[in-house]
Amino acid sequence: MAQRDIAVPGIVGSSHRDLGGRPWHRWRRTIALGVVLLGLVGIVLAALAREALLPRSAVTVAVPPNPFAPPRPALTQAEEAYARGLWKIHDDVKLSAVRMTFAGLAYKAGEIDRRTLKARVDAARDVYARAEIRARALEPPPSLRRVHTDYLAAIRLYRQSAVEMAKLGADGREQHLLAAYPLSETASKKLLEVGDALWPGEYVPN
Amino acid sequence: MNKVARSVLLFALLTLTVSTGLPSAPAQSADMQYSVWLIESSRFMGVPAGAFMPDRAFVPGSSNKMNNKPFFDLPVNIGVIKGGRDIVLYDTGWKQQDYHKMTGTQHWAPIAQQLAQLGIKPEDVTKLVIGHGHWDHAGQLMDFPNAVLYVQKAELEGIEWALNYPNPHIRAVNTDPGGCARTPACGYPPLTLQEIYGKVLSGKAVIVDGEMEIAPGLIIHPAFRAHTAGSQLLEVHTAIGPLVFGSDSYSSWEGIRDWMIANPQQTDTVQQFLAYEKCYKITGGYEHCVAAHEPLSYSEGYPLTRNSWVGPNGSRAAEIVLAPGERSRKP
Repeated sequence: MAQRDIAVPGIVGSSHRDLGGRPWHRWRRTIALGVVLLGLVGIVLAALAREALLPRSAVTVAVPPNPFAPPRPALTQAEEAYARGLWKIHDDVKLSAVRMTFAGLAYKAGEIDRRTLKARVDAARDVYARAEIRARALEPPPSLRRVHTDYLAAIRLYRQSAVEMAKLGADGREQHLLAAYPLSETASKKLLEVGDALWPGEYVPN
Repeated sequence: MNKVARSVLLFALLTLTVSTGLPSAPAQSADMQYSVWLIESSRFMGVPAGAFMPDRAFVPGSSNKMNNKPFFDLPVNIGVIKGGRDIVLYDTGWKQQDYHKMTGTQHWAPIAQQLAQLGIKPEDVTKLVIGHGHWDHAGQLMDFPNAVLYVQKAELEGIEWALNYPNPHIRAVNTDPGGCARTPACGYPPLTLQEIYGKVLSGKAVIVDGEMEIAPGLIIHPAFRAHTAGSQLLEVHTAIGPLVFGSDSYSSWEGIRDWMIANPQQTDTVQQFLAYEKCYKITGGYEHCVAAHEPLSYSEGYPLTRNSWVGPNGSRAAEIVLAPGERSRKP
């Protein structure tokens, strides 16, 4: 109603004119529809023309696969399930391994005494003990039995290393740190080997 | 001799000591000139451009040279510095046998083979300066039985802080099996830290706190948070003027030239720019800044490294400058 009130009187008056036997407002609808259709066709034609004119190199860039996930046979469902289960344990083991290393560093730097060193190393040893129980509860598929055995061996080596380091707390002899070192070093290498089998891309370029 | 005369004599002696003693140390540093080579520990193939340099992220169809490359091949460069009684490595690369399928890597070769082409044996190396403690720059430390390691105290403190942070996502060495999304402890696997600890245990490590001249004309400069918490640069005096090695604080030489950040990890980008500025101040420009992962390394595109050749397993090496009397090692 309001629109009609403000419309230009002359145009409003022409809407009632008969043209070829049809009312003008019906012609107006047909013309509008035609304009809209023509516009749509124009847009499609313009888009096709633009695609055709673009340099081919710009639209056919080949994207190589993600380099951080080197191609390899996919893990089976059972292998995936094992890898997922071990990952949570692996997370705890890695953290404790690095914390144990830092306990040794802090002791050598004179920042902590031997009692604090023992407390930190004992905490790591407890994590390894729990990790071993959790890892043993996993059932690896036959294809990953060797990986599983390696991982258990790594945890045991870390635990032995922790036991050796903790002896320093009792007698103060730094020889224990030297004796513990190769055990942790071997365990750390085993962790990488397992990671390489189960979690490629665990360590990306830094 | 009365009191006044004794004072005058003491003053004279002190003046003499100061005037003869002080200039001698800088003069020795200024006179010392090192030979420098660059060797490629390995090459990370096809790293997404935007992952390496955010401002150079690939834009399909772009004709802008800053955005028209989808991937970079990144060398992992090690500096070899020889002078006086020292053979110094700046960064030590990584050992592929420990991580061999993880990285889409090519051209890795044992460090002993790579040094052999320069006539150097691992046991000849006297000092190892690591620009930071990430696995691909601080690996194979125990392959150098006689070398003393130089690592920043702030680097170790930064890692330890992260390990003890309450939030498990922040303290994790990896946040998920596919990586670690640049979290604080990311990039420091147990073996790498174990090897740093091994150097400390064997009495062959210096925990550096800030700036230190480790030999005449070889100066460590802190670049804290320019890549990691305790990143450090190494200024090296040579016949062509000072060079500055930057490890991953200088991941990209083009980044230094064009003032673009590269390889952000545990990085404060402001500090990375300040590390770039340090090279400009020391060397008078960007040409003598030595980058760890510059894709143009060993080519005309990075002129400092263009005097290059191909060595073991397709890895590359470059002879950057020779000290007077030093013979060329280029085949």
